[in-house]
Amino acid sequence: MRYVLALVAILGGCAIVQQPAPVSAPVPVPSIGSAAVASLLDRARADVVAGRLANAAASLERALRIEPRNPRLWQELARVRLKQGEYAQAESVAARSNSWAGGDNRLRAENWRLIAQAREARGDAAGARAALETAERQR
Amino acid sequence: MSRRTKLWRYLSLAFLAVALLAAGFALYLDFRVRSEFEGRRYALPARIYARPLELHAGLRVSQADIVDELRQAGYREGPREGESGWFVRNGDGLEIAVRPFVFWDGPQPAKRIRAAFAGDAVVAVRDAEGRDVPLVRLEPLAIGGIYPANNEDRVLVRLVEVPKHLVQALIATEDRHFYSHLGFDLRGIARAVVSLVRGNRLQGGSTLTQQLVKNFFLTPERTLRRKITELFMAVLLEVHYDKNEILETYLNEIYLGQDRDRAIHGVGLASLHYFDKPVEHLTLADSALLVGMMKGPGIYDPYRHPQRALARRNLVLRGTKDQGYATMEQYAAARAAGLGLNPKAPKGTSPHPAFLELVHRQLRRDYEEADLRSEGLRVFTTLDPGVQRAAERVLERKLARFDREKHFGKPGLEGAIVVTAGQTGEVQALVGGRDVRYRGFNRALDAARPVGSLLKPAIYLTALAEPSRYTLVTPIDDGPFVWKSRGAPDWKPANYDGKFHGAVQLRTAFAQSYNAASARLGTRIGIERVLGTVKRLGIERELKPYAATLLGAVELSPFEVAQMYQTMASGGFRAPLRAIREVTTQAGQPLRRYPLVVEQAFPAEPMYLLTAAMQGVVREGTAQGLKNWLPPESAVAGKTGTTDEQRDAWFAGFTGDRLAIVWIGYDDNRAAHLSGAAAALPVWGELMASLKPEPLALPKPEGIEIVLIDAQSGLRADWACPYALELPFAQGSAPVERAPCASALGIAVEEVKQDAKSWLERLFGR
Repeated sequence: MRYVLALVAILGGCAIVQQPAPVSAPVPVPSIGSAAVASLLDRARADVVAGRLANAAASLERALRIEPRNPRLWQELARVRLKQGEYAQAESVAARSNSWAGGDNRLRAENWRLIAQAREARGDAAGARAALETAERQR
Repeated sequence: MSRRTKLWRYLSLAFLAVALLAAGFALYLDFRVRSEFEGRRYALPARIYARPLELHAGLRVSQADIVDELRQAGYREGPREGESGWFVRNGDGLEIAVRPFVFWDGPQPAKRIRAAFAGDAVVAVRDAEGRDVPLVRLEPLAIGGIYPANNEDRVLVRLVEVPKHLVQALIATEDRHFYSHLGFDLRGIARAVVSLVRGNRLQGGSTLTQQLVKNFFLTPERTLRRKITELFMAVLLEVHYDKNEILETYLNEIYLGQDRDRAIHGVGLASLHYFDKPVEHLTLADSALLVGMMKGPGIYDPYRHPQRALARRNLVLRGTKDQGYATMEQYAAARAAGLGLNPKAPKGTSPHPAFLELVHRQLRRDYEEADLRSEGLRVFTTLDPGVQRAAERVLERKLARFDREKHFGKPGLEGAIVVTAGQTGEVQALVGGRDVRYRGFNRALDAARPVGSLLKPAIYLTALAEPSRYTLVTPIDDGPFVWKSRGAPDWKPANYDGKFHGAVQLRTAFAQSYNAASARLGTRIGIERVLGTVKRLGIERELKPYAATLLGAVELSPFEVAQMYQTMASGGFRAPLRAIREVTTQAGQPLRRYPLVVEQAFPAEPMYLLTAAMQGVVREGTAQGLKNWLPPESAVAGKTGTTDEQRDAWFAGFTGDRLAIVWIGYDDNRAAHLSGAAAALPVWGELMASLKPEPLALPKPEGIEIVLIDAQSGLRADWACPYALELPFAQGSAPVERAPCASALGIAVEEVKQDAKSWLERLFGR
């Protein structure tokens, strides 16, 4: 009986609830949206292999201008920053990736591992351990 | 010793002395000529480029916008086989012959592409063979330069690039015996002497070499002594350098007119300026026009005196033909040709001087002023020409309208706009005043004005960072408020509507911009703490720790405000506002890149809560008027600002892709009698609407939950509440108490809802 009443209540009440524009739209599953971004990502990876890190970063920034909310691009950029020895930036950019990661726990875990490496490189062993533990928890 | 031998001896001594003196003078001149000619390096201004348009499928840009940008870049409509720099429209398609360009990361060759449009977006980009191309960079617009002090501008050319007919026309007109003389021309000198004897001014008879010497080493006086020095130097120049070196230098040195404050030097720049093509593509008629102008670029300015310029050109053509450099047919064809001028309005040193000034200032942190003005650096900036033009147009139009409505006399209202890319901090547009071409007071950068309520987000952000004390629905007292401090009069902030509102929810106090409630909240959390937040948001200026500071008794420039709101637009990550992406040498060697830099200044959760509060400002607060321009789905976050007696009207806000700050007021600080909502907001709304914004959708941080709240009581609501809304809370901080409107069955309903949800989730796996 309780359930029946409640169901009636739900069906009746839903229409009344005012739905203001929510702050967050459902976070889309992060992926590489367009061929343009994919081509830039390829180019950035090729540049990394060739050791042209500044070019790789520039290509990723171009991609980010097209898809500024794509956490994979931010993560790639964090990886390049780490290789460039820009540890503070690597950590910040990985955190930026996390902020767009939504429910993608694997992406988050990878970001935390990047943060751990950046902290390790800066001599912050405790911080690195904490980041690794956070990475472990992202499952 | 006889008197004769004595005399002879004196004479030869005197002769020796004169010879020595002459030799010394010659040596001195020789030294000057060689050192100056060889040490001569033209001061090449830094060239500033807008951002390149990245054309790709999915880009939200209309065909008209791209055509607009192509025209700006000097592309012409209509196919021209074998050339680049043109486009053809066919229905929803656009064929572009993209010019080659040396980008920061290397050269991109000329290419032919086809873009297909549907509505206001690009749906496909293909190459000439019809294959999909993921991405094409169009060449960026040149938006100005940083010029030497004399504003001399030039584009250096080599003699091999200069068409033969230009050189021939020059020689036929200015110096027929150039290739055979020794730097001077006896006939010319004879003519000059005759005219001098007749009592006229010294004139004429100068060879190209002499003209060059005159430009290089001498002041523009006309005396016999100077004429003789000039002759000597011309001979010396001929002794040391071959004809082609002299000719090349002449072609780069010659003054060819004025473009507002910019002096056009050399045939390289002149061909770009007058004909919009590189020097190698000049026709015989084009060349003759330029050669004709050399005699007097002002008198024969083809824009201002087309008839005179045309007559002069034809005279040059006739001379060229008479000297045997052109056949009768070539002559006839060239004579029949129109002036062929570039129709683009002359633009002076820059069409967007305010943005250029920002670039210049950012460059000065890393480069010597002298290098910027002489090394020919290429600077790639973040300017989006479409956004810039839209901002300029909106400001001009709206200010003119406010002026008409206000009848407030001259000088009229002023304004400033800053637009940035919300996530990266790149400055896309900057307008420094209503006269957008004026290179004067840059209000966006230099007008420090009281910001009023624009500082309030710092109060609320500080509060929301303590979820155990403050949430969006925490009641705040908006009763009369008095702040006493020693040595200062009591501070009693009043509300905009002159009333006090008693206990209101925190989100309402913010949305309605209640002063008493905000002052009470700010002083309770601590002025120093709020100022700490302001600093972390990116304001570097030291602010006085007075209570009145909380309500914006602080002067900031629109650019500084943009920096502060940038941090909010990018979810708490501070990114320094950047106007420059890359700098290369003149040859295209990369010198420096200005990378994207971010720093997390605030945790995601309080920033998310603040953004929700700022969306409330637009949804139901002081910025409701925005609905006249943008639909509610845009979910814009913003804040209005109005100062005492409405001297300053502000609006700061962001969408999913852009942040913009608008300031309106009088330079002399008169009361404008316009609030932020009445003056700045319409400018903002119209600008953003024209840019078709992406909706603002921040990702929900882990530590945030969304709870249904009764709007009236700020307590937990359910289906039975007529005015309920979903609000974000830091985990565990949402009210537990149920609103009076909530159903007695509420608990049961929640359980069923949860059960149903998990059952559905199990069923559909999500």
